[in-house]
Amino acid sequence: MEPGLSIESGSAIRVAVLPVGGPIPPPRLREYAALVARHARVDLASLRTYYAEHQKSPFQHQPWETGCLRLKFVLGGCVPSPWEDFQSSRKVLAVIGICHLPSSPDLDRVAADFIDSARSYPSALANRCFAFCPTDAQLSGKKRDDIIMLPPSDQQSLELHMLTMIQDLAASLLMEFEKWVLRAESTGTILKTPLDSQSSLGSEEVIKAKKRRLGRAQKIIGDYCLLAGSPVDANAHYTTAIELARLTGDVFWHAGALEGSVCALVVDRMGQSDPVLEDEVKYRYYTIIQLYRRATLQDNAQRVSPVSFELEAALKLARYLCRQELAKEVSDLLMGAADGAKALIDASDRLILYIEIARLFGTLGYKRKAAFFSRQVAQLYLQQDNAYAAMSAMQVLTMTTNAYHVQSRKTMKMNHDLSKEPRAGNTDSGKVHPQSIVSLFESQWSTLQMVVLREILMSSIRAADPLSSWSAAARLLRSFYPLITPAGQSGLASSLANSADKLPTGTRCADPCLPFIRLHSFPLHPSQRDIVKRNPHKKEWWTGAGPSGPFIYTPFSKAGASGTSKQEVSWIVGEPVQVMVELANPCSFDLVVESIYLSVHSGNFDAFPVSVSLPPNTSKLVLLSGIPTKVGQISIPGCIVHCFGVITEHLFKEVDCLLLGAAQGLVLSDPFRCCGSSKFKSVNFPSISVVPPLPLLVANVVGGDGSILLYEGEIRDVLITLTNAGTVPAEEANVALSGKNQDSVISIAHSTWKSALPIKPGGEVTFAVTLRAWHLSSADLETDGSRSPANSRRIAREGINPFLDIHYAGPAANLENGDVSLPPGRRLVVPLNICVVQGMRLVRARLLSMEIPARFTETHLKPVSGEDINLLKIDPYKGSWGLRLLELELFNPTDVVFDVDVAVHLDDADVDQEVISEGDAACHKTRIDRDYSARVLIPLENFKLPVLDASFFVKESSSDEPLGSRAAAIAERNAKAELNASINNLISKIKVKWHSGRNSSGELNIKDAIQAALQASIMDILLPDPLTFSFKLAKNGTVINDDSSKDFGSVLRCKDPISAHEMTHMEVQIRNNTKEIIQMNLSISCKDVAGENCFDENSATVLWAGVLSDIHLEVPPLQEVIHPFSMYFLVPGDYSLQAASVIIDATDVLRARAKAESPDEPILCRGSPFHIRVVGTA
Amino acid sequence: MASTACFVIVSKNDIPIYEAEVGSAPKKEDLSYHHQFILHAALDVVQDLAWTTNAMFLKSVDRFNDLVVSVYVTAGHTRFMLLHDSRSEDGIKSFFQEVHELYIKIFLNPLYLPGSRITSSHFDTKVRALARKYL
Repeated sequence: MEPGLSIESGSAIRVAVLPVGGPIPPPRLREYAALVARHARVDLASLRTYYAEHQKSPFQHQPWETGCLRLKFVLGGCVPSPWEDFQSSRKVLAVIGICHLPSSPDLDRVAADFIDSARSYPSALANRCFAFCPTDAQLSGKKRDDIIMLPPSDQQSLELHMLTMIQDLAASLLMEFEKWVLRAESTGTILKTPLDSQSSLGSEEVIKAKKRRLGRAQKIIGDYCLLAGSPVDANAHYTTAIELARLTGDVFWHAGALEGSVCALVVDRMGQSDPVLEDEVKYRYYTIIQLYRRATLQDNAQRVSPVSFELEAALKLARYLCRQELAKEVSDLLMGAADGAKALIDASDRLILYIEIARLFGTLGYKRKAAFFSRQVAQLYLQQDNAYAAMSAMQVLTMTTNAYHVQSRKTMKMNHDLSKEPRAGNTDSGKVHPQSIVSLFESQWSTLQMVVLREILMSSIRAADPLSSWSAAARLLRSFYPLITPAGQSGLASSLANSADKLPTGTRCADPCLPFIRLHSFPLHPSQRDIVKRNPHKKEWWTGAGPSGPFIYTPFSKAGASGTSKQEVSWIVGEPVQVMVELANPCSFDLVVESIYLSVHSGNFDAFPVSVSLPPNTSKLVLLSGIPTKVGQISIPGCIVHCFGVITEHLFKEVDCLLLGAAQGLVLSDPFRCCGSSKFKSVNFPSISVVPPLPLLVANVVGGDGSILLYEGEIRDVLITLTNAGTVPAEEANVALSGKNQDSVISIAHSTWKSALPIKPGGEVTFAVTLRAWHLSSADLETDGSRSPANSRRIAREGINPFLDIHYAGPAANLENGDVSLPPGRRLVVPLNICVVQGMRLVRARLLSMEIPARFTETHLKPVSGEDINLLKIDPYKGSWGLRLLELELFNPTDVVFDVDVAVHLDDADVDQEVISEGDAACHKTRIDRDYSARVLIPLENFKLPVLDASFFVKESSSDEPLGSRAAAIAERNAKAELNASINNLISKIKVKWHSGRNSSGELNIKDAIQAALQASIMDILLPDPLTFSFKLAKNGTVINDDSSKDFGSVLRCKDPISAHEMTHMEVQIRNNTKEIIQMNLSISCKDVAGENCFDENSATVLWAGVLSDIHLEVPPLQEVIHPFSMYFLVPGDYSLQAASVIIDATDVLRARAKAESPDEPILCRGSPFHIRVVGTA
Repeated sequence: MASTACFVIVSKNDIPIYEAEVGSAPKKEDLSYHHQFILHAALDVVQDLAWTTNAMFLKSVDRFNDLVVSVYVTAGHTRFMLLHDSRSEDGIKSFFQEVHELYIKIFLNPLYLPGSRITSSHFDTKVRALARKYL
């Protein structure tokens, strides 16, 4: 059988094209062969010049104007067929030699070589040898007849030259045909086929053959007429031959002649599509097929079977009819031909048959049928055990991949570029109808696909084509891993590795293998996140475009602003960016991805490769990074993966489709889910645009970026350095505070950084921020169970720190058209990681009452000076009856030493009351070592209010009146507020400051503690007694005036206290601290050390003059009254005087102050004891 | 019963949604996919033939060597394809009709996505029983 046969092929002159001489480089050979093969059709009209009619032409009806000769060039020649005599078109009628002269300099040898090779074609009627690219020496040499040299020139003239040569060849062939026909007509020829040779023995056969000879000769002459381009002549001869063959019963030749006549008919009517002609051809060909079948049956016993002619006839008819409308008929013919394959003995015949069937089905549009027969072809090829057959098998199988939907992406790209587009749009819209998902996975005949891929793999390994085998194994593994056993998967992996070994490094393949890659997320780089679009209409551009009206939501705002699902991302030239992808290895072997990086086709991105190793059945998240290099749009369709030695591109979209199918149960398996990864979540790739460089400020807290360790209440300056790490100066900036605990930032040195603007690239500015540590809440303290610093750091939780929001922007760029474009600004958030650790702890605060009697001592008589740093100042004449001390117990749980200062700030208003009080600086420091506690005493004496006012007791009075009016309630509220204010005033006067080390200092927050301590006895502290008593020595027994305070100093200068046996003049001063007149009965008592009353009338040890008991006095409001008396001490020693008075007709205020329980109770007022030391002899 | 038979249901998207080797001949791996290749190739013929007739049963539409492909096309263009070597056309027709009823039951299942694989074991058992009965 011969490939590529058609009805018209009977009219083609077979020309062998042979390379001769030295080896010809393949591209050259192809080029020369193409040059020759262009002239497959030579018009008869153009042969006139080369044609010389020697005798009368046997082709009487030759159409010189319209006809043509058809040449069929066979490169490399062919084996002579045993059926040459039967069909002249099978004969090689001419031989053309092609010679590449630079590789074969010896012309004689070329000529000899050509003659040698032409000798194997005895049927050749004309020979030509073309020599290309001759050297100058070869050209200038003796002109040879046997070699035609084509001097090097441009393509056009070379073609013209070649045309001339072919026309010459055709003309000489035509003349040879004439000669041959004339000879055959006159002498006759012996024509044999393999059928005849088998049965040449019997004499009967010989006679039969003689009879048949004439008919056969006519048939051959007809063949030659057809070859000579004269179908009309041919038809005449064929008609004779048919008649003769029918008469002689020469079935085989009858069929041959009939076939020739159809060919003549078709060639004659070339280019006309005529249903009548078609019917005629069909009818005759069915006859031909019948005749051949009969011939086959007749000669069934013989070894050589003419069954191939029957099949060829069927194929010829099928090719002739091969149109969509006649698909049924053609496919019947082809199926019939396919059935005939079993009868074919020669494997190569079967091969050709299948090839032809596949080709015809392909032409018919039956892709799957074509693929099926192609696969049969490939299997026949694979039965031959050589590399070329394997290569052919591989190529044939590759052609079938389209029909089985396992094609390489390389070919898919070419074929499906257009058809893919609408689908892509469909999946992008998010909501996909289930039906259209199904259509994504059309024709998934997985079994067949696997078989085809496996066969491709097998054949490409045999054909030593590593790239194809890699690609096939990759497709097999990627698409069908769930159907392949673990052993099979490992086998594929090793075949991938083996193929890669044979490939040069850096080979790219269109088909991705493992791993499966999907886009996981788009982690924004910190610097990216902080790009702020500038609002050109606002000075504070970072605040965003505010609503245009008074409403928060305006329906007229741009619809696209918020509703777009596709987010936009800006990347900055020169700043690294990251994309998170998820890799999955669903197979049972370790997968080593040598490198993986983002694939960007827009060419403005530098991707950084990373290498990953994936254990069996695992997935992994990988962060891929890169740097945009140019302004513009970036699209990232997938990743470039270097795995199994080959570089491939993995597209995200494909995996998304796969996962979509897996979600619907249409695909075998979801590679990510079987690796234990989370559920499928489609990630939209945002549209990425690259913007020109922006300034990039980097903040650095001087002294380390860790948290700033502060003790509670500590105040410290923190230096922050801003460095411009970008390539553009930062021209404007704004620093603001945000986050929690903003009040812990006391001040920011705005002027420092403002003066440093613009910050040039590489420039830096350092500014100070003053911080005060806040106080830990009790919850914080509880969590901070142990005191180790590691634990204390835990307190520095997220979200409790203040932030510095720094908005900054580069210069505005001037566009070409004169407009000013505002590049986006940026925000830098500097967290002030303040870690507050517990400093000194207030263990307890309590109030101590100290009752120190007034006394005369030397120390108290010292003159008062400014340098006196005694905090506790007791009026020696009044004593400290009712003095209270606030005791603070402090504990130092830290590792450092604290110095504590207690300071009491006094208002100016208090100066007249207590002159001797000093400022805080004068206080003593208390040092508390680590793990020690200390107590600090704070006297609270100086806080007494000057007046005992009724307002403080409104609460009590109102409680006495159950029917309190509204006015009372208001008064109560006012009074309460006043009281609270005075308490707060009191507390705020007390400050406990601490220092630790060189630069830690702060204030202890003891407000609450003090308040708690004072709550019970706040009245006692704040309110003065209604009456105060003080004793004084009066000089010379005269009563000192009310303004005796002026002489106060002289009294104190009395050196000698009191001597016995001497009349001592004394006076008691009674002050009314209320706003009402107080009437009272005053009595003065004197006691000795034993506590005996010295004024006892029976055994008095002290003599006295003046009234000492039941003195009725009336003290006007806020005034003092002095009652003088004299005493005469008989015995030296210590005595104490005490004044007491019973208030007559006490008011409610006084009762409340005295905490009287019943209204009848006498109100008693006592002063502090006055200590007198009496010296002398008894 | 036919010695070789391979039954495949092909959805209208040309995806095989059900496959069964129902022949009595011992199963061979390579043969089963060979059968599928033949059935797959026959789709081309069915595609043209289905529109030329009103009948659902297209009889034998294709053959390869001595194996014949009979096809039954439902109204939804789902194709039941049987590859067989026996010639009992009536049996095949009854087989197809009964399988069609089973298929409609599957189709009525609200949880079944038309065009996806039929995984019901009940369906499989029934089909095999029908094959034993008719082929």
